[in-house]
Amino acid sequence: MRGKIGIIRALLYYRYGFLFVNFFKHLGIEYLLSPKTNRELIDLGVKNSSSEVCLPLKVACGHLLYLKDKVDYLFVPKIIYPYGRLYTCPKMMGLPTIALYLCGKEKVISPTIKGNFFLPLFFLGLKFRKNPLKIVSAYLKARRKEEKKELVFDNKNLKIAIISHFYNIYDEEIGSFLIETFKKEGFSVYLKDDLDEKILKRKEGFAKNIRWAFERELYNAFKYYLDKVDGICFFFSFACGPDSLIGEMMAKEAKEKGIPFLTIIFDEHSGKEGIITRIEAFCEMIKRKKR
Amino acid sequence: MKAAFPYIGYHTFALKDFLTALGAEVCLPPPLTKRTLELGAKYSPEMVCLPFKITLGNFIEALEKGADTLFMAAGARKCRFGYYHYLQERILKELGYQFRFYPVSQYSPYEFIFEKMPQIFAVSPTQVLKALYLMIKKSELCENFKNCLRVIRAIDYQRSLEFEKEYLKKIENAKRIKEINILNKELKRIRKNWLKENRIKLKVGLVGEIYFLLEDFANQELEKELGKLGVLVLSKRSLYSRLKHLLKIEKEFLKIYYYAKKYLAVSPGGEAIHTIGETIDFIKKGVDGIIHIFPFTCMPENIVLHSLEKISEDYNIPILSLSFDEHTSKTGILTRVEAFLELLKRRKRNGNSIYWN
Repeated sequence: MRGKIGIIRALLYYRYGFLFVNFFKHLGIEYLLSPKTNRELIDLGVKNSSSEVCLPLKVACGHLLYLKDKVDYLFVPKIIYPYGRLYTCPKMMGLPTIALYLCGKEKVISPTIKGNFFLPLFFLGLKFRKNPLKIVSAYLKARRKEEKKELVFDNKNLKIAIISHFYNIYDEEIGSFLIETFKKEGFSVYLKDDLDEKILKRKEGFAKNIRWAFERELYNAFKYYLDKVDGICFFFSFACGPDSLIGEMMAKEAKEKGIPFLTIIFDEHSGKEGIITRIEAFCEMIKRKKR
Repeated sequence: MKAAFPYIGYHTFALKDFLTALGAEVCLPPPLTKRTLELGAKYSPEMVCLPFKITLGNFIEALEKGADTLFMAAGARKCRFGYYHYLQERILKELGYQFRFYPVSQYSPYEFIFEKMPQIFAVSPTQVLKALYLMIKKSELCENFKNCLRVIRAIDYQRSLEFEKEYLKKIENAKRIKEINILNKELKRIRKNWLKENRIKLKVGLVGEIYFLLEDFANQELEKELGKLGVLVLSKRSLYSRLKHLLKIEKEFLKIYYYAKKYLAVSPGGEAIHTIGETIDFIKKGVDGIIHIFPFTCMPENIVLHSLEKISEDYNIPILSLSFDEHTSKTGILTRVEAFLELLKRRKRNGNSIYWN
């Protein structure tokens, strides 16, 4: 097989993107990464997907359609278990199915990933390059380990924890402005992905019952931050199934402990200004409570 | 022990008999009404799907009536349904009710038979197996009854009302395997006799989420309305087929899985495989159209929507997808269904073309 591979800058890109991109880079396969999400891509996705799915999936559909005519193959892995037999989410598992119908069966390459990233990528590499040793070394080079700094809570500023999925909070069109808004108000912002993996993968209490990998991480992050910060902001997309249940659970627990808890639901129609106003009011409330 | 569980259409009888056979006193909640839905929607998270709200309302009404032990299906996997009971238990406790809550996992039948049920009711596994057999038989009876009712509804709506009343009583009172077998044979015979008349104009396959297919209240009595319009509804999902599927003795599943595999890259959980497989099965058996029903924001069924679009193209058959939430009005749904049936009739007249000739 020869040709250009397209990778979408949406959904799981924000978690496993560096692995896929670097793997293709080290193998010397030409690839194209879709641009950062913008209004046009969102509109494109909204037009071509079911009206009841969440915004991140619609955005992913937009990215797929953007790449469709520019590349020879589209890389949409079927990630069923990212690790330890914990599911991703029905909608993420549905993305390869949607890609089949949006872009045609011949174009989509989707290796099945069940907890193990190496073997599917190795067999994918064999289709493009003949030397297996090169593929192994490309995978080893691509797998970088980011060293996380230990979290230090400074007591100068008020502290806020934003609990949200990585594909919402790191996407500049969807949720990145949230961090800036809180910083402008004079808060130190703590995100889910600042925490160590050991904390995120804990199996204690209610977290043990959650079989969605990323949802368990959210809940563990929430539990960890609960008694360490002054306020918690839970940010999720309209029609997100897992968040609707676990979010309610978090809200109930925060209420018990008396920690301010703000739930923000967004979709393609929600304006930034409305959300910023709500955040400002929330910040004002925390400040007054502290005084 | 006053046990209660959420309604699931006619199959409530089967579950009731199962609990009665194990020695529990069953306290059925009052029939589903608008109040149930309002109560449920008031205390549930706003973004959750409709079955959560209806079953929560059901539990509240059962507790008001005096139930003290609640049973709910569980089993956390890909779909949201497996997580219902964690939140429901918490919400009900916060409302101040006193009760015991038993989530029953769907995916471990052996634990269910040999550990869970004997522990709760203090009976032997043999008794559980006997009760389980009774439940399976009864749910088969309920399925036969529903199939029979569908045929009569499509041909003579007034007669079907009398038939429903008469046989619901008989089914409720049939407590022994012998009686159930006799009724089963009788219902099959009646269905055959009605089908002989050959007066059915349209056949429509009903697929989708299982709770919506079983519970008439949830789907705004769609089947009844279709029957009024003279349409024969075909549907395969029932508690009987679900129980067989969970006990891994469902014969049809292989065929359904084979059909569905072509149209799904990964199974997104829930009823996705059954929805797609049954759709293709119905099309191959020669229905005029497919109606697909699911709760608003249902995760697996929304992925299935994309596959159904493709199936509709490939087999040249109209598919209508309807999503329901607590604000859905019956009139709105009916208007869309009537327009859809009009299209089916025109297609039939003009030989599978929707245009005027």
